[in-house]
This record gives sequence, structure tokens and C-alpha cells, in this order.
Amino acid sequence: MQQLPLSIHIRDDATFASFYVSAKNVTLLASLQASIRGEGEQITYLWGSEGAGCTHLLHAACHFASEQERRVAYLPLRQHAELAPQLLEGLHELDLLCLDDVDAIAGNGVWEEALFNCYNRVREHTCRLLVSGNNAATQLLLDLPDLRSRLAWGVSFQVHALSDEDKIAALQMRAKLRGLELSVELAQFLLSRCPRDSHALFAILEKLDHASLSAQRKLTIPFVKQVLEI
Amino acid sequence: MEANVEETLWGQCLEHLRDEYSAQQFNTWIRPLQVEFKESENTLFLFAPNQFVLRWVKERFANRIKEIISELCGGNPPPLILDVGSKPQPYKLNNKPVQRSELVSNNSSSTVKTASVPQFGPTDYTAKPDDNYQSNLNMTFTFDNYVEGKSNQLARAASQQVSENPGEAYNPLFIYGGVGLGKTHLMHAVGNAILARGKNAQVLYLNSERFVADMVKALQTNRMNDFKRYYRSVDALLIDDIQFFAGKDRSQEEFFHTFNYLLEGQRQIIMTCDRYPKEINGLEERLKSRFGWGLTVAIEPPELETRVAILMSKAEQAKITLPYEVAFFIAKRIRSNVRELEGALRRVIANAHFTGKPITIDFVREALKDLLSLQAKLVTIENIQKTVAEYYKVKVSDLLSTRRSRSIARPRQMAMALAKELTNHSLPEIGEAFGGRDHTTVLHACRKIKSLVEESTDLAEDYTNLLRILST
Repeated sequence: MQQLPLSIHIRDDATFASFYVSAKNVTLLASLQASIRGEGEQITYLWGSEGAGCTHLLHAACHFASEQERRVAYLPLRQHAELAPQLLEGLHELDLLCLDDVDAIAGNGVWEEALFNCYNRVREHTCRLLVSGNNAATQLLLDLPDLRSRLAWGVSFQVHALSDEDKIAALQMRAKLRGLELSVELAQFLLSRCPRDSHALFAILEKLDHASLSAQRKLTIPFVKQVLEI
Repeated sequence: MEANVEETLWGQCLEHLRDEYSAQQFNTWIRPLQVEFKESENTLFLFAPNQFVLRWVKERFANRIKEIISELCGGNPPPLILDVGSKPQPYKLNNKPVQRSELVSNNSSSTVKTASVPQFGPTDYTAKPDDNYQSNLNMTFTFDNYVEGKSNQLARAASQQVSENPGEAYNPLFIYGGVGLGKTHLMHAVGNAILARGKNAQVLYLNSERFVADMVKALQTNRMNDFKRYYRSVDALLIDDIQFFAGKDRSQEEFFHTFNYLLEGQRQIIMTCDRYPKEINGLEERLKSRFGWGLTVAIEPPELETRVAILMSKAEQAKITLPYEVAFFIAKRIRSNVRELEGALRRVIANAHFTGKPITIDFVREALKDLLSLQAKLVTIENIQKTVAEYYKVKVSDLLSTRRSRSIARPRQMAMALAKELTNHSLPEIGEAFGGRDHTTVLHACRKIKSLVEESTDLAEDYTNLLRILST
């Protein structure tokens, strides 16, 4: 039997509570939560640039659904090379199916057709489908126009990347969740000296958290400079 | 007894597993399993929804499941068999599926049966002829809510006639056209109308993929006769997206025979496709020619008036008030197909619902901002440098040079500020991309442009123009 090297990992800390909701993302979050509760749209398509938070939202949706005793599956299509398209069979019987990075299968005929079939079956059932991509559905470079138009059929939202002000607020919120105190000045310092995409900033925060714990020191600019070697 | 074992033994086992594994593992891999205890075989069956889940469970959880069951049974557990499949289960979401219609059984006893059995994989056609039929019809797709326009007039009229005289008017009816233009809606509408007229009619809607999957399963399980009997017993076969038969020779062969059988028996066949039959590559000539025996009608993309009417109709179905001028605004901008139009309307409705604001043109412009402008282009620092250089009629190499004259420095500062605004690069990275400058230079440029935009209308205009050029 074929081995399964795949590691489908859902981050424990990627919840709706830890997602900083900027003003532009308020509606999408409300719509998404309603959908998972079985009240709103059956199919939601989220799209955004790298670091905008699509994956976080999909992980959060899984946690949210699990808390409500719903059966969920999360598939990172970025790893489709390690998966078989047959994996999608039967998943429409679940309560929530989250497919991350649909753009990753663009041009792969077998996967596109499998996803097209999966979509059709989802529509015949009550399963909620949440799909993410790096571009608006109509702009995805899919070979199957049928699939592209179907993804554009449900409600779709752009996950807006955070502005610098939002990033500062998001960093502070994340720090608070970790029991860390992060001043505005320090957040601004990180923003002006480090990679500014949210992924990188949150990874830096995690690194600083560990460093602060092991050194038993508060976060200060000199300490941060020392840890990050900048 | 069987239910008891399933509920108590498996229920207790689930409690253990829930404690031992993370919620995610439990919900993703274990909860989808369905259990059935067959008393006659004294065997416990666990069904996984697909091969992938089955393998995963076998590798990661099966041993532990066996251990727990053994403990719970005091060392004398029933054998455990893991397989792909499903069993009837009472589980339901809160809202009932609207797509499943009730169908009447094949015999004349007029018993109404509901297709409530969840199934994994292809249809269970091994059922006896008088067993549950699933029409798969979506009852919300009717002629009443199908908006007619020049683009679909003929297809609608033909479909209506077919629904009034199934098997006689046009057989087969072949509807073709681009994606998202309403072919499937029309097909369901015919099916629903046939059912409304003749309660005993057996109408079967399916995507061509389902036919292929069913056939593959029948071949694997040596049940081709059951397969044939199932598909040849319907009064109307509605088969969607026939183009997916291309290149699947064995399926085409089988469909050819089913097609002939149904046609000879004056049963109705309706097919949809994304192109004219003769243009389907990978489809046998004899099928292409047969598809054209009845009536072949095209659906074109809807014109503006139809798009407006579609939006108004959908809004009415969703019970929202959509002013005509707003529908016109959306319809004018989203032109490709009905699905995209509906997708846009869904977004507008969601925004109105969650913000409580009235639907106006300004509201829609904001709600659909990204869809309308599709600011999805990937903006790179190089692209910004090139665009800014062109805009100010300087060379990119000047922007990267050490020259400090205002005619060069200002565009350079502008490009830096735009790079900060439109990309996720760090300030040191931006500085590096501008001829190896320090991050403080970038910071200074950003502040400078910010203050100049506030002070100078010319510069504010430049900034807005460049933002627009780069993000559309």
C-alpha cells in the first residue's frame, strides 16, 4: 500500500479569536461564521495575497466547526502532489470542507476535474464548502472554465491584507494573547526593520516570545535588536 | 441489538478516542467513520468515506480502535473490518437539503419515498427497481424563475415543450453554451415540470461524471446488469456536462447503448454541453451524430436587459429590495455569465445583511470594489520603478543611481513610498532594491511623500494616478 507522507497540519492557535479583524474584513468574517453554523451561504470563496490571512481563516473555520460538533476536513491543495484527487470523493458528506490554495492545482487537469465533481456534489448536499485562492475566482488560471465559474458562483470575499496601522494593532493583539506586552513603538520598530508581511511579523513575534521567556526579559528595542540580530 | 452495539460500544469507543486525540484529528478522521454491527456475522464494520481516509485510519488509528474495543468487550471483541462505504445514518444538519426531491417508487403503489440515505461514492444502483430513486433534481430550478431573454429564448421554448410532451417533442434535447449561462437550470426545470405533471415519472438528473463513476464501480463489482437496469428504467435521463465523456471510451460505449435503449422506448433524454456536439473532441462519431437527432439549441451570454432581469429575479427570491438602477449598475459591469452575476449579488446581499445598510449604487460600488476593479495584479518593486520612471519620463537607472537632483529624487521618493504602500517588502529590502540605500532613506521618502501629498495638489494627483495605474 502506498505510504502517506502527508502531514496535514492545522495550527492550534489559528482561531477566529486570534484573527485580527480589520474594518474591511468584518463582513467576510460574519458571513463565514454564519455559513459554518448552517445559516448563511453554502459556498464561500476567499482570496487574498500571501500573508493576507486566508489560511488562518480556513484553520479557524475548522476549529469553529469542530467546536460545534461538525465534521470537517481541511486540505492544503498546495500539497496536492502528495495527495490523490480521489481524496475528494465522499467529502461532500461532511459538514464543512475547507480547500486551501486552489490556485495550486491550476493547470492540473485531473485535480481540476476532481474538484469540479466535488463542487457539484457539495451543491447536492448540505456540506459547507470554503475555498481559498490567491486571486479572484474569475481570475484563477484554471483550465476548466466550468470550475472557475462555479467558484465565482458562491459568495466571495477578498481577504484584505492589513494596513501598517492594522499590523501594529494585530501584533499587539497577538502579543497580548501570549501574555506579552508590546508597545506601539516596538511594533513600529518591527514594522520598519523587518519583513512586513503578516506571516513574517507573527513569526518574529513568536521568536521574541520564546526569547523573552528564556531570557526572562521584557521586550525592549535593544533586546529585540539582540534577538533578531539587526 | 445491532443498534445497541453500535450506540454503546462504538459510542464508548468514540469517547475514548475523543480524549486521546486532538479535536482536529478526531473530527477529521474519526468522526466521519460510520459504524455498523452485523449480528449475523458478529462483526463490527467501520466505513470510511473514501480510500484516503480509510488508509489514514488504518495506519494511524486502527490498532488503537481495536485495543479500545477489546478493552470494552472484556477481551472478547467482535472482529473489526474497515472498508470504504457508508451505512444509513440518522445524522442530519439543521437545514434540510433542498436539492433532493421526493420520488415515487417504480411500482404503482404510489408510495412516496424520500431519498434520505447518505451515500459515499456512486449511486447505489444495486437497489431493486422499486427501491428508493433519487432524482437529484434541484426543486428551486423551475421555469417560473428562469429569466428569459433573446439569448435563451429558443432553448427555453424547446425545454418547455419537452416538459409538456416528454419523449415526443424533441428527443434528445441537446442544450449547449458557455459556462454559467443557465443550461443546468433549464434541465432541472424540465425535470421538475415532468414530475409535477406525472407523479409516477422517474426522472434522473446527473452529471456525466456520475455516470462514469457508477459504471466503473459496476465493472469493479461485476454488477453491470444492475447498472444497465438502473439507467434503462428511467422515464427521463437528464445528463449534464456531456463533454466530460470525452476520451472515456468504455463509458461512451455504455452510454451509447443506454441512449439507444431509452430513445427506442420513447423516454426523454436531455443533455447539456459546453459546445456543439460535433465540436467535442474525444467523442465517438456515432454519439456525436445521435446527439443531433433531436433538437440542438444554444444558449448565448445574456444581454444587458436580461442580466438586469436576472438580478431582479434573484433578489426577489432572496427577499431583498434591489433598486432597478443598482441592478443596472451591476449588470453593466459584470457581463460574462450568470454565475458571476449571482456571485456578485450574493456579496452585495451579505454586505447589506451584516452591515444593515441600504443597497445603493455607492454601497454596491464599495461592496464589489475588488470584483469590479480586480486589483489583483501582483505589484513588484521592479514594476513600480518602471511605471514611475515612465510616468515622470526618467530612466529606471536614474532612480537607482546616486543622483540627487530634484527631478530624479522626487520620482525616486515616490517610487519608494509606493513600494511601501503596495508591496510587503521590508524597508531594508526596498532600500536595497533602490541601489542599496539604507532603510532610513526609505522611511524619509515615505514621510516626505506623505506630507507633500497633503500640501501639493499636483503631487497628490501624481500619487493617485500612479496608485490607479499600478493597481488596475
